[in-house]
Amino acid sequence: MIDRGEVIRMARLARLELSEAEIAQYQMDLTSFLISGEKLQKVDVSRVEGTSHAVPVTHELRKDEVGPSLPQDAVLLAGPKVQDGFFQVPRIVEAQE
Amino acid sequence: MKKLANLLETKQVSSQEIVEHYLGEITRQEPMLNAFITVDQEGALTQAQAADQRRAENRPLSPWDGIPIAIKDNISTRGLNTTCASRFLANYRPLFDATVVRYLKDAGLPILGKTNLDEFAMGSSTEYSAYGVTCNPHDRSRVSGGSSGGSAAAVAAGEIPWSLGSDTGGSIRQPASFCGVVGLKPTYGWVSRYGLVALAPSLDQIGPLATSVEDTAILFSLLAGADPKDASSAAAQTFEVPAWDERCIKGLKIGVPEEFFGKGLHPEVEQAVRRGLRALEEQGAVLVPISLSTNEYAIDTYLTLVTAEASSSLARYDGVRYGERVGAQDSNTMFAKSRAAGFGPEVKRRIILGTYVLSASHYEAYYEQAQRVRTLIRQDVLEAFRHVDVIITPTTPTAAFRIGAKQSPLEMYLSDLFTAMANLSGIPALSVPCGKDSKGLPLGMQIMGKHFSEALLFRVGHFVEKTVGIRGCCR
Repeated sequence: MIDRGEVIRMARLARLELSEAEIAQYQMDLTSFLISGEKLQKVDVSRVEGTSHAVPVTHELRKDEVGPSLPQDAVLLAGPKVQDGFFQVPRIVEAQE
Repeated sequence: MKKLANLLETKQVSSQEIVEHYLGEITRQEPMLNAFITVDQEGALTQAQAADQRRAENRPLSPWDGIPIAIKDNISTRGLNTTCASRFLANYRPLFDATVVRYLKDAGLPILGKTNLDEFAMGSSTEYSAYGVTCNPHDRSRVSGGSSGGSAAAVAAGEIPWSLGSDTGGSIRQPASFCGVVGLKPTYGWVSRYGLVALAPSLDQIGPLATSVEDTAILFSLLAGADPKDASSAAAQTFEVPAWDERCIKGLKIGVPEEFFGKGLHPEVEQAVRRGLRALEEQGAVLVPISLSTNEYAIDTYLTLVTAEASSSLARYDGVRYGERVGAQDSNTMFAKSRAAGFGPEVKRRIILGTYVLSASHYEAYYEQAQRVRTLIRQDVLEAFRHVDVIITPTTPTAAFRIGAKQSPLEMYLSDLFTAMANLSGIPALSVPCGKDSKGLPLGMQIMGKHFSEALLFRVGHFVEKTVGIRGCCR
């Protein structure tokens, strides 16, 4: 069984608050997910590279030209909390003495 | 659809009449089905009137100008709610159209509404939608499949003539099969993903659903093409609907992988698919027994990659720029509380699993290992296509299951047993109805092909539809 502390650590890494019931549930789910995936561990992959894209594509970048952007006021409309043309968030930098 | 286009062309019917007909069906059937999250009655009627105006002036935008469509609610529509079936995005209105939505608008298709799905496309039944399950029109005690369950059910019930879905591990094909409609997961990169809310970007594809193979092909022709806004679509070209010539069946080599006809497959599904195979054989196709032994690893590989990519894709939902926010004194608590309140149980589960396989101490053993097994799966598939032209399997191991029947997450994940391989290897796969079981539930055949071989898949599917298929909406 995966350790309860491991689930809490993952939740912290993912910035996700979990209830006690959720922690217990995901502890079980993570355990059974890892047991089910055990057979993958036994596959010999020593002779292959990983695939990140199924169809080999060279990512063709478009020209780096300035185009029209979304208007600031329209973008801010979607924000749950805005002030003076900015998204408002809690303080993240400690005030300097 | 050609018939409808002809009626519009010859002015025997107006786009407004067509849209009003489907709005009427939606009003009548939605209380039983719940296929839509948003119905844009006003917007659709305005677009229909504009289409009629263009027809009156003999300048239609395309032969399909004025024929309405529904869009899965994880595809961005400018000014129209795009919730991803999540509470987090309950009031989110995109400022831009997905490229495919722009293409549809350029062709004059009024957008009737946004269809239901599992939250952020994570699921196989729409039971994980924050807006309730979509029932199967053939039996309302059963699921419509997922995650594009709303798109499939709406088409099957005749609430809309065609729709868009998205497919990461089977999310177009499985609901198409459950609801008795046609659905295509295109070749990776042939359809732009710009504006599709990401689940797993290396696997996601947008694709069409319709009641017939021909309509599915027509809709696909409106979607396919390169897009400078999606770098992974760079290799793509446009698509022409093929001529329905059955001569291509004669001599066609059809791979029949034994692994897809074994344990876990319902006998009635097997019978239906084998009947379709026999019809193809009688027309001159050659059935070639093949082995795709790596399918044994497909689900676990898929789950590892999809949870990893999903946990990363969902990092953007922080309650700052859009979506729901739960206030707190510091940012980290605000993020954690907002995400806790906005996401449903399956999304949280996948975030935890994905974060685990990506975390520094487990990355190599799980994520990197899965990426390498993916290479073996891809090689296995490409090797098979050196000997055969298409591969035919059942789309799903069973017909639509009852609402609430799948108790554990792993049981639900097995719904993708036959479909995940196509996403992992990037090949196109078409699900076509191939009959019904003894309870009257539709069954689907999956036709897979080489990269960019959609025209052949449609031709084979067209023949299957004609010989053993079920056509039209379920009423």
